[in-house]
Amino acid sequence: MNLKQSFRMAFKSIRSNRVRSLLTMLGIIIGVAAVIIMVSVVRGSNRHIKEYYERMGNNRITVSAEQWGGMDISQSLYDYCLSLGPLVYGVTPDITTEGPIIYRDKSTGDMENGSPSIKLGSVQYSLCNNFQIARGRDLCQMDIQSSQQVIILGARTAQYLFNYQNPVGKTVLLRGHPFEVVGVYQAKDPDSEYSMDNMAVVPYTLNRLLNRRDTVDSFTVRASSSETTAEVSSRVSGFLKGQIDTERGYFSVYSENQDMKASDDQNRMMSMVLGGIASISLLVGGIGIMNIMLVTVTERTREIGIRKAIGAKRKSILAQFLIEASVVCGVGGLLGIAIGVAGTLVAGQLILRAVVLPDLPMSAGAFLFSVAMGVGFGIYPAAKASKLQPVVALRAD
Amino acid sequence: MNLIEMEQIYKIYHEGLENEVRALNGIDLSIGRGEFVAIIGASGSGKSTLMNVLGCLDLPSRGTYHLNGKLASSMTDDELSHIRNVEIGFIFQGYNLIPALDALENVELPLIYQGIGAEQRARTAREALERVGLGERVHNYPSQMSGGQQQRVAIARAISTGAPILMADEPTGALDSKTGEQVLDTLHQLHREQGTTILLITHDNKVAAAAERVIRIADGRIVVDCPREEIAL
Ligand SMILES: Nc1ncnc2c1ncn2[C@@H]1O[C@H](COP(=O)(O)OP(=O)(O)OP(=O)(O)O)[C@@H](O)[C@H]1O
Ligand SMILES: [Mg+2]
Repeated sequence: MNLKQSFRMAFKSIRSNRVRSLLTMLGIIIGVAAVIIMVSVVRGSNRHIKEYYERMGNNRITVSAEQWGGMDISQSLYDYCLSLGPLVYGVTPDITTEGPIIYRDKSTGDMENGSPSIKLGSVQYSLCNNFQIARGRDLCQMDIQSSQQVIILGARTAQYLFNYQNPVGKTVLLRGHPFEVVGVYQAKDPDSEYSMDNMAVVPYTLNRLLNRRDTVDSFTVRASSSETTAEVSSRVSGFLKGQIDTERGYFSVYSENQDMKASDDQNRMMSMVLGGIASISLLVGGIGIMNIMLVTVTERTREIGIRKAIGAKRKSILAQFLIEASVVCGVGGLLGIAIGVAGTLVAGQLILRAVVLPDLPMSAGAFLFSVAMGVGFGIYPAAKASKLQPVVALRAD
Repeated sequence: MNLIEMEQIYKIYHEGLENEVRALNGIDLSIGRGEFVAIIGASGSGKSTLMNVLGCLDLPSRGTYHLNGKLASSMTDDELSHIRNVEIGFIFQGYNLIPALDALENVELPLIYQGIGAEQRARTAREALERVGLGERVHNYPSQMSGGQQQRVAIARAISTGAPILMADEPTGALDSKTGEQVLDTLHQLHREQGTTILLITHDNKVAAAAERVIRIADGRIVVDCPREEIAL
């Protein structure tokens, strides 16, 4: 008996036992789809969070340092970071001040979802915080040195104040002082209302004008990669220890990567828990398959007896059951993957508002597992039955 | 050597235990090519057991059995399958058709296991069904046929391979006398026209009377074995 005939026979048998075939498939479909959806959505949410951190500017180190009554350390911190060479991507003062920003009859004080955060930074502010210029220009060295009253607007703030007009060249009032808008940043997070794009940057040398302070006490250092973040943090700490007398001042060095790692850990936990639940559902599906396969073969012991009585060899019987089981389970597995992919896309939209694609190796794993389950539990009793004496098998009913 | 040669065949169930059953208790039997043999005996005398061993569906506990010159009593499972496939056609009391397959597909089965290609297989199977008068019913499923028709499908399946031996265990047992006669006629016709060797179990004396040779079994032994003319049924 050749392979083609085995396949024909298997399909014939599947078609003539539609309900049973469907029930077998159902277990596989549900199991595979559940695993794919659950694990993919968790993975997708992980990636989502990571991307959020990346857009915000990852590998950032927040440095606060102040020597009471002492000198400003911004120049020496800048020089030190420069000396770290490729470990550091950029460094900027990062001071916050109050609004509102007013343009004609519009004031950011009236914004529904909160007023923008107004930052004082250097030319490296955008570099450290992952902003890119959409219109106009960024801060330049001249602005800093001569304390120019210029302002770069974040996308949301610009949109609020100017709607669709070009803000570049216009003058706004920041706490009563006129500032010329020289640039607008690209939106980093256009979907969110409470956005990191609701912001503005002015030269940090205006600290005196806006905050009535001479010294800069907070900075953002951006390390070149997540691997170097810890090292830069500890080196900067070491440097500050040498610079600041802690009896007459303080410093702190803090990296957001720590937050990210915590949320990463949390997600990994969730991934494991949900993955575990999904695996259990796959296992239950597998047990269902096993059950049906066992019943199938018992039910068909007589058929096996007839086939043997008229000349089927063991391997013909085995081939038939193997092919039947693989076809049923394979088709079920493929349907499971299809439903899993569709379900993942839908769940991704509903839960994360993002396109989440299923994890390929995991889908393949779930597929193989359920097929192996079906084939294994289909083949084992069939192998047993194929070894029966035909008289014994024929007696069964 | 004869087509069938049995020497001291025993089939013992639960051997050595207190519920031991000697279903076959030292059978010596030889049957030649082209004979038409009826096997009769009381219920439980061992007729089916003998037929199963003769038909290579079951192995004897002891003894030697040569079928067509080959030692069937010590063959492997697959060798026995092969013998059943090419040498023997079976007709069972309960038809034993596969319910999921239609008449043609049931008849094709032994041909599939012989590895015969689809076209020739379908042609041969159709011819066999026509020979038993079911040329119009090739695509009926067993559940759509009467008992007599099902038994004739079973006969078509048994003869489709052109096997030299046909074995039938009470083929008319589940049929009314008229359809039973039709089935027997088919067997006699095969015997006459093709020279097929036929072994038939029956407890109907009329059926046995139509055979050329009658063997009576009692308690697992052959008690009478003679040509039809001599037997006093
Ligand atoms: N699998 C088995 N296990 C134990 N005993 C068995 C088995 N098969 C048959 N027997 C016994 O062997 C003896 C012969 O049985 P067999 O089926 O050959 O009888 P039979 O002549 O065909 O009877 P019937 O006319 O009723 O069909 C009986 O006593 C039966 O109980
Ligand atoms: Mg019997």
